[in-house]
Amino acid sequence: MEYNLIVNQKKKSIDAGICDQAMTIKTADRIYDASFATISDHQILLKVNGQNINAFIRDDNGTKTVIIKGRSYEVLDADLIEQNAFKKKMQVNKTIVASPMPAVVIGVLAKIGDKVKKDQALVIVSAMKMETTLFAPYDGIVSQINAKVDDKVMPTDILVDIEKQKEQI
Amino acid sequence: MFEKILIANRGEIALRVINTCREMGIKTVAVYSDVDKKAAHVIFSDEAIYLGPSEPSLSYLNMDAIIAAAKQTNARAIHPGYGFLSENHEFAQRCRDEGIVFIGPSPKAIKNLGDKITSRKIMEKSGVPITPGLTCCEDDLGVLTNTAKKIGYPVLVKATAGGGGKGIRIVHSSDQIEEAVASASREALKAFGNAEVYLEKFFTKARHIEFQILADQHGNTIHLFERECSIQRRHQKIIEETPSLILTPELRQEMGTAAIKAATASNYENAGTVEFLLDENNHFYFLEINTRLQVEHPITEMTTGVDLVKHQIEIAAGNRLTLKQEDICSRGHAIECRIYAEDPERDFLPCPGKIEFMKEPTGPGIRNDCGVYPGVEVPMEYDPILSKLIVHAETRDQAISKMIKALQDYIILGIKTPIEFMIDAIDSGPFRNAEVFTNFIETHFSNWQANKNLTDMTDLADQPNLTDVDLTDVDLTDVDLTDIAVIAFIADELGGVKNNQQPFSKGKETATPFDTLGNWKL
Repeated sequence: MEYNLIVNQKKKSIDAGICDQAMTIKTADRIYDASFATISDHQILLKVNGQNINAFIRDDNGTKTVIIKGRSYEVLDADLIEQNAFKKKMQVNKTIVASPMPAVVIGVLAKIGDKVKKDQALVIVSAMKMETTLFAPYDGIVSQINAKVDDKVMPTDILVDIEKQKEQI
Repeated sequence: MFEKILIANRGEIALRVINTCREMGIKTVAVYSDVDKKAAHVIFSDEAIYLGPSEPSLSYLNMDAIIAAAKQTNARAIHPGYGFLSENHEFAQRCRDEGIVFIGPSPKAIKNLGDKITSRKIMEKSGVPITPGLTCCEDDLGVLTNTAKKIGYPVLVKATAGGGGKGIRIVHSSDQIEEAVASASREALKAFGNAEVYLEKFFTKARHIEFQILADQHGNTIHLFERECSIQRRHQKIIEETPSLILTPELRQEMGTAAIKAATASNYENAGTVEFLLDENNHFYFLEINTRLQVEHPITEMTTGVDLVKHQIEIAAGNRLTLKQEDICSRGHAIECRIYAEDPERDFLPCPGKIEFMKEPTGPGIRNDCGVYPGVEVPMEYDPILSKLIVHAETRDQAISKMIKALQDYIILGIKTPIEFMIDAIDSGPFRNAEVFTNFIETHFSNWQANKNLTDMTDLADQPNLTDVDLTDVDLTDVDLTDIAVIAFIADELGGVKNNQQPFSKGKETATPFDTLGNWKL
């Protein structure tokens, strides 16, 4: 999967194949085999091409300060900026059914035309071997389902469209 | 010996004094202001007394409150640290009047040496070389212009009560004198309540070399060699080392003797520092005596093996110096980097804030005199020094390597620090070649920015617009550290996922073994 990042104000595109804690990263001129272990909230031990490298990280609303060997790097995800804006929007309306992170769909619990209640489970996604259930944000009728089992989904993908039921007077 | 000492200071220096007191079996009393309720020096003291609001004049400069705290706790002596009341002769006198021992020189010595004119006169009389210029305050433009002409431009117009870079103007030609005198006077009046100025020679490429002295109340004075403190920003030192590479054994001895002479001439007692300027022709001139424990005292402690605070306390208690001049020898090389909460990319402006995470470097020959801890809020009210990182090794080259390693291992997250700048400065060609002058930062690092991976700093002076630097020359030969930063970013995202709050999941999902096992996977 391609990631677009901004490192110290410079754009950088990489290709990352991620499987659990192992990843293969390709850049324009290099390739890295990497794995990692989280040491503490702010320290990650990376193993990159066989070398141990300690990274110290502080996350400030998606912008991460990464310190490696006394050097600091400000890294932000160019795509994530979009996603974050999107997430924010979602948090405001809470009217969208979407995965909170890049994930794989492992179960779809509703079908088109279903009448669903608020907080009813609709979709189960899995990321990092952890399952997350997505619930209906409000009462309504399912008008569209954009996900099927084994689909890779991003936080920007709306998985289920629900037509809001008119409020009872 | 005193049973209990009050430390009228905060931060790393208060902790430094507490450490020695504990080793000597002396109880410690810390004092604190509103913002410092949970400061490190409070936590590590035996007793802590609240002084008042955060504003220095109401707390750490509040003589009444400090004296009352000492009386309340039966502290027999007060250690003033550096800054705050450490060079205040009125406070030293006040302590004396109240029957409390002020750990430092006599009020009279502090007063005399705090005044540039008086101290210049004392030194001139006793044959200690002083910088060419006037030994009286002067506001007559004619006299000033004539003196400047005689000693040659550039000259400094200096406030007699000056210090800390205030009330000083550099003058390059006679037409600038009038304005310089007016503005220096104005600034001095505002800062010190005294508008008097005088004039002395300004050395554009000088080194700043200071000698540590110890003097007891029985007329014994020794020096503990020099410290080279040329690397400064905003007239404040940030990197210090000892020994100085420029001093020959003969010059060192000559300056050491002059330092003792300067201390004796001013009836000095306790620890003090005699500052000299050394010009390009290896002529030295007396600048001033700092009548306190210096920030950079640890490098002297590292190379001489002498605990200066311990001797300060013993001298103040009236003991004779247990050390003789011939006992003092310097071994190896020590370097200190001052770590402030400041932004080296923005003219080293202070950046207070909360330290979210920190990890101090450790290892043989590494000392970190630290006044903060993870989670603490660095207040904006005081000097933003966080710690002093000091290394000691056999040779200067080894000390440089050790310092770079220690800086690389020093992690502070949440606020800006000059750690990365220090790595570049220490690792630079000019520093490695000991080409350190007071204009070091302006000359080599005026537009320093983090992470430019400047491998050859010597070239930087000639090419100030180095923006696109080849990143392939970084220390890990086969990886690009910016790529590693990206990998760390992704790893943190992945590792952080399970910690993140997931607004849509409502916390109903069951825990997997990965929630509890940590992230390591073979």
